[in-house]
Amino acid sequence: MLHRRITQFLLIYILGLGLLFGLKGVLSLSDYVIPGPMGVWQTGKAEFLRYLKDVLNTFLVAVIGQLLSILMAFTVGILGRRATWFGSFIKVAAYNVQAYPIVAIAPILFILLGDGFLTRLIIAAMICYFPLLLSIIGIMSEPVSDIEHFYRVTGRLRWQLEVKIRAFENLNKLTTVIAGSATLAMAGTIVSEFIAANAGIGYSIRIALYQSDLSKILVALFLIGITLSIYQGMLELIGAGVKKAWAAG
Amino acid sequence: MKPPDQGETNRSAPMIACHNITFRYPGSETPLFEGLDLKIDTPGFHALFGPSGVGKTTLAKIISGDITASAGQVSIETPLPCLYTFNRERLPGWSSVGRHLAKTTPPGRETLRDALVDRFGLATLMGLRFSQLSMGQCNRVNLLRYLLQDFSILIMDESLANVDEPTRQDILYQIKARFPERVFLYISHNVVEVARFCDRIIVCRGAHQKPQVQLIPGQDHRADRPLDKNAMERAMLEIMNAA
Repeated sequence: MLHRRITQFLLIYILGLGLLFGLKGVLSLSDYVIPGPMGVWQTGKAEFLRYLKDVLNTFLVAVIGQLLSILMAFTVGILGRRATWFGSFIKVAAYNVQAYPIVAIAPILFILLGDGFLTRLIIAAMICYFPLLLSIIGIMSEPVSDIEHFYRVTGRLRWQLEVKIRAFENLNKLTTVIAGSATLAMAGTIVSEFIAANAGIGYSIRIALYQSDLSKILVALFLIGITLSIYQGMLELIGAGVKKAWAAG
Repeated sequence: MKPPDQGETNRSAPMIACHNITFRYPGSETPLFEGLDLKIDTPGFHALFGPSGVGKTTLAKIISGDITASAGQVSIETPLPCLYTFNRERLPGWSSVGRHLAKTTPPGRETLRDALVDRFGLATLMGLRFSQLSMGQCNRVNLLRYLLQDFSILIMDESLANVDEPTRQDILYQIKARFPERVFLYISHNVVEVARFCDRIIVCRGAHQKPQVQLIPGQDHRADRPLDKNAMERAMLEIMNAA
């Protein structure tokens, strides 16, 4: 899983680079617009460590934000799984809030909380929370009738067992959703840094953008992509490990 | 054969009474049942028989309370609950068959469980996961765990599908010998089987026919009794005519 993720990213990244260099060649664009391969390589060597630190800074915020989202989404998803008024309220609220681009309210958070760690964390968590919540509510509110029936008719179906059955039966789906939410958390953090923060790779990309330095942006994109690929691959490995251990009793 | 290891609580006088049952699935133009009446006042091994789509499973679910009829009354006069089991049920994937049975066996019924495991031909499967079993084995394990529970009525919806003939026959003899005071409603499409093993066969005929269900006496055959083949053939003919 891990190597597949990395290979997929490298392929896409190389294809993207090839497209850019192809465009540069076909349209005879200057190095100022699209730098040549050597220019990108030199920038990569010069900025690698600094950008790696920035990416790890962003990644840390994204992971904490994602963990918070997962915790909140599971709590609310489990509470809202029943066909009660509360469950219906949670579902309707989640569907409606999810339809709104959360990133659009980021400026309000920056005005209220400033441009520090907390603002980035809240934006990252908010961006990945609602899609996660919708998926988890969907999974938790869908009965696995062919397993639950016995426990229900014999009076053994406690909420913990119900959640356990539904989580176990949908572990692959949950792993995919959680791995996918990592991208959202990272995107949310980068966007927040891009808007107003004073740290992280989004902030560095903003500076590179002001300098019209595409090489720096390409190096930043490489580091973001490889970090995210490794993280998602590891999440999938953990999911597979959990399923294997759980199934082995 | 030993009597069931159930204690005093399971000595029941089961009775099922359905009165004027009407049921229509949402979106359907015609009702599945209209003013259906049914009464079972003796314990034993009975069958619900009829062509596919006639409403056997729906009637079973109405009796067990899994679904509610649009109109009419269902009355269950038994000390213990009515359970409904169907042939596509699964055990949780995180547990072996043996561990699951151990966890779901009520206290005091371990002897019965071990005896049934042996007679159902499941002894060698206890260490396996449910997903590793064949369909017939899955159905036997599922039926077994229900037989260990507190119930006065057990509705078996094709619970022995995909089980080979000799094993199925032995299981039916076992159930009839071990649980003589319970009511079993056995849903099957096998006319020979229901005519031979069941005490009464409730033939479902659909809402367009009156009466919508017809009770035909079966042979209620047991392992220690000779089988009257002529009477069984007559019962089969009656069942087929009623259906």
